[in-house]
Amino acid sequence: MRILLVEDDQDLQTSLAEILRDAGYAVDVSGDGVEGLFFAEEYPLDLAIIDLGLPGMSGLELIRKLRAKERRFPVLILTARSEWQDKVEGLEAGADDYLTKPFHPEELKARVGALIRRAAGHTQAVIEFGPFSVDLASQRVRRGEEEIDLTTYEYKVFEYLLMHPEEVVTKTDLSEHLYEEDSDRDSNVIEVFVGRLRRKIDPRGKMNPIETLRGRGYRLNNPQRAS
Amino acid sequence: MSLRMRLVVLAALVMTVSLGLVGAALDAAFYRSSVAALNSRMESTAYLVLAATEIDDDGSLRLDKELGDPRLGQPGSGLYAHVHGRRDHWYSPSSLNQDLPELPPVRPGESVFLQPGAGRDYFIFCYGVAWELANGSRLPITVSIFVDPKELRKEVSAFRAGLGTSLGAAGVILLLAQLLFLTLGMRPLRRLTRDVAGVESGRTQRLEGQYPRELEPLTRNLNRLLETEKTNQTRYRNALDSLAHSLKTPLSVIRSSMPADTAAKSSAIENAVTDMQRLIATRLQRAAASARSSMAPAVDVGRQAERLIQSLGRVYSHKMIDIDANMDPGLAFYGEQRDLLELLGNLLDNACKYGHGKVRLRAGPLVADKPRAGIRLSVEDNGPGIAPDARRTLLKRGVRGDERVDGHGLGLAIVLEIVSAYNGEIEIDEGDLGGARVSVVLRTQ
Repeated sequence: MRILLVEDDQDLQTSLAEILRDAGYAVDVSGDGVEGLFFAEEYPLDLAIIDLGLPGMSGLELIRKLRAKERRFPVLILTARSEWQDKVEGLEAGADDYLTKPFHPEELKARVGALIRRAAGHTQAVIEFGPFSVDLASQRVRRGEEEIDLTTYEYKVFEYLLMHPEEVVTKTDLSEHLYEEDSDRDSNVIEVFVGRLRRKIDPRGKMNPIETLRGRGYRLNNPQRAS
Repeated sequence: MSLRMRLVVLAALVMTVSLGLVGAALDAAFYRSSVAALNSRMESTAYLVLAATEIDDDGSLRLDKELGDPRLGQPGSGLYAHVHGRRDHWYSPSSLNQDLPELPPVRPGESVFLQPGAGRDYFIFCYGVAWELANGSRLPITVSIFVDPKELRKEVSAFRAGLGTSLGAAGVILLLAQLLFLTLGMRPLRRLTRDVAGVESGRTQRLEGQYPRELEPLTRNLNRLLETEKTNQTRYRNALDSLAHSLKTPLSVIRSSMPADTAAKSSAIENAVTDMQRLIATRLQRAAASARSSMAPAVDVGRQAERLIQSLGRVYSHKMIDIDANMDPGLAFYGEQRDLLELLGNLLDNACKYGHGKVRLRAGPLVADKPRAGIRLSVEDNGPGIAPDARRTLLKRGVRGDERVDGHGLGLAIVLEIVSAYNGEIEIDEGDLGGARVSVVLRTQ
């Protein structure tokens, strides 16, 4: 999943980006509101983390403008202003959650995960899909009782497909949501990941949960319904 | 005494004195002129009598029956005449039964006018003449006219009554006019009072009206005071905020830079960072409390609670929480909106976090018919509640990190600061929903 982090304090920005990338997210960063707005309009994001005290354009204004432009991804506010007046203003401007500084990195990861899950319609951290059970918090995948060992990118692809079940997901969608801007993307790599993922989650080839739609992309189908 | 009362009394006093003086002057003038007129009339009567007088060759007096003034012929008419010759006296018929005083003769050519006074009951006019006899000798004669003061006194009384009535009427009219002028004149003051009340209630931020020149220094200074207070408050708040901000970001960096593996040292740092966070939050509240404005506009408690409930709905959208707000309609809080939001926000947040899906908020005025006195409110949930020992710890201000009851701690610490800033009270007990209930009283006067 792809996250935009708008934070003007360089140290914090670097440290947070690292934490989020370690957790498997693709992170785009910006240090001011105007640039942040541009990124939010241009990139296909799954979530934005916005600090309220930004130069150029205030965090609140950025959020309002985002919403006005129909960008619907969840927004998490980071703020040193811990007063409720400010939290309420932020939430009224269109944010979905807030985190006050200083905060636990664990708390940040948990909130981000929860927001992304909620946006996809899941209230629990564990998604059940057919015979698969995926714990989004710990990033563990099970088929029935058996745990499946996936690499980071294999898991990312699976998670993204799980968030858009029964939908057509193009290769571009995948590469844009799994990689940051300016990263070296190769659509062939996506094919490789999908192939490997298929072999790991369906070793006997009986279920075929990931359907290839030639020229369009992939679709994750619920195997139980298919049969 | 009110300003108006004072002005009315002074005006009435001045008017009474002036009208009194005028009345007295008029009265005296009338009396003098009446007496002078009487004097002239008595002189004329004296000539009349003289004209009717005949002196015989032997010097004896004889008067015509017709005296010209019929009153001289009526006994008790109030007009009496006396002529004094060498040896004889003549009294007018009207002087029957009158006890007229004896007077010394007056030298020819001279006249005397006497007013009633000590021992004298009449106005008296005496005129002396010298009568030339046939034999060439001169006979001195004195004509005296007496007038009963009764008639003059009646005239003066009538005049006085009329004067009293007129002056009285004039006084009443003037007083009414004065009251009217006072009302009109005091209008700018009443307008000023209304405008100040408008600033107090928060409808306006400054005194906007047109005021007369004399009030301008007052309104100018008042506006300046209001502005200064607002500017100072803003400046102070901004200073505190920027201080807090500049502290919190480095704290975040410390937090996020700490390695995930919890060695004993990093746990100590962890606690220190948490304590710093709490200190900033609570001390900030306390310091901001001293910057509170005395002229805070009324805050709509229902509306602010609504905002909080909606916000909490977003944050806790994954939990099904039913927040029941039971508040007095139109309830107003005469303190800072920021403080109300902070207090309610923390209480409701705790209830959402630790309750099991049901929260109830109740709020009402502290004193039934005095909205400015303050408000009382309570937040309860259906969670596990707070044990009595823990309650005591939580309600102690300035609790240290290691003594803190996790979770509830920071939120309640801030609530405590606000309650203290508003001279209020706080109590934790068990509510009807089965969980914790926090009840708070905030005083705004």
